[in-house]
Amino acid sequence: MKKLLIILMFALAPLSLFANSALAAGDGPSKDMLKGIITEVNAAERTIVFQKDDTKELIILAMGEKMQPDDMKMNQKVLINLDKHAAGDNVMKDISIMFIDMSVSKLLALLVIGAVGGLLSGFIGSGGAFVMTPAMMSLGVPGAVAVASNMCHKFPKAMVGAYKRWKYGQADIKLGLVMAVTAVIGVQIGIKIQKYILNQFGGAGSNLYISAVFMVVLVFVGGYVFYDAWKLAKGGGKETVSKLAVAMQKINLPPMMHFKTAKVTISAWITIPVGLLTGMLAATIAVGGFVGVPGMIYVIGASAVVASATELIIAFVMGAWGSVQWGLSGLIDIRLALLLLATSLIGVQLGALGTTYVKDYIIKVVMATTMLIVAVSRGVKIPGYLIDLDLMSPIGEGTIALLEGISFWSLVLALGSAALIIIVAMVKGMTADRRSKSVLAGVNHG
Amino acid sequence: MAITTFDKNMSAVAFAEAGEYDTASQILGENTKKQAGKSPAPAVKRKPYLKTVTFGAMSISAYVLLFTNEKLVTEVFTMGGWRWVYPVGAAFFFSFIHGAFASNLLSALGLEAKK
Repeated sequence: MKKLLIILMFALAPLSLFANSALAAGDGPSKDMLKGIITEVNAAERTIVFQKDDTKELIILAMGEKMQPDDMKMNQKVLINLDKHAAGDNVMKDISIMFIDMSVSKLLALLVIGAVGGLLSGFIGSGGAFVMTPAMMSLGVPGAVAVASNMCHKFPKAMVGAYKRWKYGQADIKLGLVMAVTAVIGVQIGIKIQKYILNQFGGAGSNLYISAVFMVVLVFVGGYVFYDAWKLAKGGGKETVSKLAVAMQKINLPPMMHFKTAKVTISAWITIPVGLLTGMLAATIAVGGFVGVPGMIYVIGASAVVASATELIIAFVMGAWGSVQWGLSGLIDIRLALLLLATSLIGVQLGALGTTYVKDYIIKVVMATTMLIVAVSRGVKIPGYLIDLDLMSPIGEGTIALLEGISFWSLVLALGSAALIIIVAMVKGMTADRRSKSVLAGVNHG
Repeated sequence: MAITTFDKNMSAVAFAEAGEYDTASQILGENTKKQAGKSPAPAVKRKPYLKTVTFGAMSISAYVLLFTNEKLVTEVFTMGGWRWVYPVGAAFFFSFIHGAFASNLLSALGLEAKK
C-alpha cells in the first residue's frame, strides 16, 4: 500500500506543471461565476449588494430580466453567473443556492447512485460520472458544485479500487501512470477545442459537438467491444490479443516500454496517442475511460481485466488533480462527495473482487452495454440542439419532454443493466468456484 | 464403518489398560500420523468481525461529526485557495477508514476474491 501511494504521489508531481491551465472535467469554474453572500436586496432598483467570498469585497449587481427580488436569498452562500451578453456590466444571469438542504430522500438517492456507480467503476474501471453529475443537478445542486463534488468523490473511489485490483495482480501501475500523464496533456487539447467551438458556435453548438462526439465514440467503440465480446462468448471465452495490437507491438520505435502486469512491450509512440485521446475525451464527455479501456485492449494489447484495472489508476491521478483545481475555487460540497463515497467504496471493492470470478469477456459485455445505452441517452438530445441552431424545424413540447424522459431513463437503464450483469456473473462465478472447491475437498477426503 | 477418533482413543485406552502399551501407542500414533499426513486442512479464515465493527464505528462517528457540524464544515471547506486541503484531505481520510470498513465488511460477509 505504502509503495503504491508513494509511486502515485510521484506521479502527481509532474502534473503540477499544468497547474495554471485548467483541467478536465476538473476544468475549474468559468470566470463569469461569483461565489459569496447577498447582504442587501434593493427590490425597487432591482439590484443587490453582494459580498465576494474570496476577497470579501462588496459589489453591486443588477438582476437579469427574468429574475425576481424574491429569488435573492440573503445570508447563505450562493453562486451567481453573470450575463456576458447583457447590456451593462455586472448583470446576473442566474443565481443558485450553493448548498442544498439534505433531506432523507436526497440522502438515499445519493447513497444508491454511489453504490451502483462504485460497482461499475470497480468492474470496468470507469463509469458513474456520466450519471452522477446530472443526478446531483436534478437534486438541485448547482452544476459547478455537482462537477466539483463528483470529482472529489471519484479519486478516493478510484484509489481504493486501484489498490484492490493491484493486490489481485491486475493493475499495471507503470502503464497507468504513463497513460495518466499523456491523458492530462490530452485534456488541455480537449479544452482548447471545446473553447474554440464555444466561441465560434455558442452554447448550442458546443452541446451539439459534445453530443455528436459522445454518440460517434460510444456507438463505434461500444459496438466494436460488443461484437468482440459476443465473438469471445461464442468461442468459449478465450481472449486473444487483437491483430492491431500485435502489429503495434511489432513497431520498434524507441523508446520502447515494457509493462510487466499487462505483459506488453510497446513503443512509447503508441501509448502517447491513446493517452492523449483518453484525455481529450475526458475533457469533452467527462468519461475518458470509454476510450481509454478499449484503447489499452485493442491498440496496446492488454487484457480487459488489466485494462479496466489500470484505468482506475488513470482515474485516480486525473481525479485527484481535478479535485485540487475545484478545491482551489472552493466549490466542493464535501457532504455530497462523502455521501457518494459511503456506498461507492463498498461498491468499488465488490466490483473489483467480482472481476476475479468472471471470464474476461464479461467485462467487455458490461462495458459495451453501458456505452451503447448511454449513447441513446445523448442521442435523443440532439434534435433539441439542432432546433436551437435553427438546423431543424421546431417540434412540439410534448415530444421534447418525451425525449428528455428517454434520455434520463436510458441512463438509469444503463446503470441498472450493468449492475445486474455484474451481480449475476459474479454470483455464477462464486457458485461455480464453491462447487469446484467442495468437489476437490471431497476428492481429498475420499 | 468409519472409526471415529473417540472409538480409536477408547480402544487405545483399552489396550493400554491391558498392558499392551505398544499397540496403544500404535493406534494413537496412527491417528496422529494420519492427521499430520493429511494435506493441510483448509485454514478456516477467521472473519474480521472486530475490525469491521471498529472501522465501522470510526467511520460512522466521522460522518456524524461532519453532518452535525454541517454549516461550519461547508463554510470552511469552500473558502477556496489553500483550503483545498480540507475537502481533498477529508476525502483521503474517509477513503482510508471507510474503505477499510468496506473491505472488512465484504470479508465478514464471506465475499473474498478468488484465489
